[in-house]
Amino acid sequence: MIKENNIKLIFLSLSLLLIILIFFFPFFWIITSSFKSPEEIIATSTTIIPRSFTLDHYNKILFNSDFFIYLKNSLIVSFSSMIISIILSVSAAYGLHKLKFYGNKFVEYSLLVTYAFPGVILLVPIYLLFAKVNLLNSYFALIVVNVLFATPFAVWMLKAFFKLIPNEIEEAAYIDGASRYIVISKIIVPLAAPGIASVSIFCFIISWTEYLFASILISGDDLKTLPVGLAGIVGQYQIDWGFLLSGAVLASLPVIALFVFIGKYFVSGLTEGAIK
Amino acid sequence: MISVKKNNIEGWLFVSPLFIWISLIILVPIYIAFELSLFNVKIIGTSGKFVGIDNYVKLFGKSKFLNASLNSFYWIIGNAICQTFFAFTIALTINYKFPGKKIMANWIILSFIIPTVVVVVIWKLMLSSSSGVINSVLIDIGLLDEATGFFSSPNKAFISLVLINSWRWSPFLALIILSGLNSINREMYDASKVDGANFVQQFLFITFPNLKSVLFVLGLVGTLLSFNIFDIIWLITKGGPSSATTTLPLLIYETAFTKFRISQAATLSIVTSFLLLLFSIIFIKTMAPKEDD
Repeated sequence: MIKENNIKLIFLSLSLLLIILIFFFPFFWIITSSFKSPEEIIATSTTIIPRSFTLDHYNKILFNSDFFIYLKNSLIVSFSSMIISIILSVSAAYGLHKLKFYGNKFVEYSLLVTYAFPGVILLVPIYLLFAKVNLLNSYFALIVVNVLFATPFAVWMLKAFFKLIPNEIEEAAYIDGASRYIVISKIIVPLAAPGIASVSIFCFIISWTEYLFASILISGDDLKTLPVGLAGIVGQYQIDWGFLLSGAVLASLPVIALFVFIGKYFVSGLTEGAIK
Repeated sequence: MISVKKNNIEGWLFVSPLFIWISLIILVPIYIAFELSLFNVKIIGTSGKFVGIDNYVKLFGKSKFLNASLNSFYWIIGNAICQTFFAFTIALTINYKFPGKKIMANWIILSFIIPTVVVVVIWKLMLSSSSGVINSVLIDIGLLDEATGFFSSPNKAFISLVLINSWRWSPFLALIILSGLNSINREMYDASKVDGANFVQQFLFITFPNLKSVLFVLGLVGTLLSFNIFDIIWLITKGGPSSATTTLPLLIYETAFTKFRISQAATLSIVTSFLLLLFSIIFIKTMAPKEDD
């Protein structure tokens, strides 16, 4: 018995070390590097503890670039996509998992299969479609696409939460004369709130990180999102690393801030909704 | 009286807004792509001549198409292996009790919530051949004699990209696996312990079978998501060196937006969609777990 526990302990410490090195160290590295002098960032001998400290890169990106325009665009697109995704997916998940209509398995699997299409496969035809209806270069074009990317998985995530709500609670409300609307707004949504919170974050992240469509559907500088703005720096022949790193840190901050406040719902939403 | 069970019209009513949204944004473009694939349009907005199935016939003779298909195949397999390994390591580790477990479980997903472009920035810096920290660490511990370019040779570039993409996705997959682990009845482990099972046996005979429905969704969605990865590859290697990292999505993008052969790109999109759809249907038909409710 003791022997087995020792093996377990060794395994656990080894994998913990591995996880910290692989999944956390890179963040330490780019954050500290974004405060280093340009010479130290590209120095051939790397040191773990920074030797220089400068705020120049942040100064440059905040006061001498289009950062705030890109930030505004990203925020508008991500919030709108998130709200529309939530409304559509909560409604769909309720229909799918509480009402059990004829054909619900078909709809459920069709939603998962939509993952067969998004991505670059739809890029050319969607570009042409939006060109036809004059939607290129608009927030709406990006929102339409982001909702498409976020909702199929959002519905699947909500399934677990809706299944946890016993049907008896709903039945009792109907016997007391409640309408479907009352039941959804007063019982289902509040009881599934942690699930809805985690799905919201998921939808926000999907929109916040989207690059491909934003780079093709938007051409005006005043409508570009953060990832597209950053990618512009990555593509330059002579990369200004300090500028790029501080941009990368700043572009990640909003999602990280969101995560500080409601991240625990996201994680528990993913892990505790007993998916059977 | 309204009831909870079996309600056809209302059920469809609740599902239809999303269903219509998704169908419109997928079916209309697919139709446009199909129409384009029968013409020889080059630059977006110009018109072309009707060529029937010519584009399809030509496609299968093209070595670029075969090369990209093979790359996509290796890409899916490579990512599946790496992500399964990382995701299970993370999930099984976090499933144990240790100090700091909560913080780790909450923040392990950091690599998934940041923009892909930031992922690219991180790894371009860390893997840089002139000043990358990975190179200098590998040299310090004696695994390398001199700095290597992780994106300079076809094989190294491909493997580096698989690892970077897995780095981004594994923590998210780990949390989903963790949800499956949490739904397993603890008593089963206690009972098996009484019967003398060790933890390898527990994993094989309790953990794994109970994760079936989670693994089904991960197998399906994960494969399709891996296939569709574009930005990480494009922003790091642009498909090179010598097309070694050009997967089908990159080939479509290149054909449409750098070579301006819209009809060819549309043909590629249609063929690719068909292949993915076929894969999904076969996967669902053979692997879908029986619902127990």
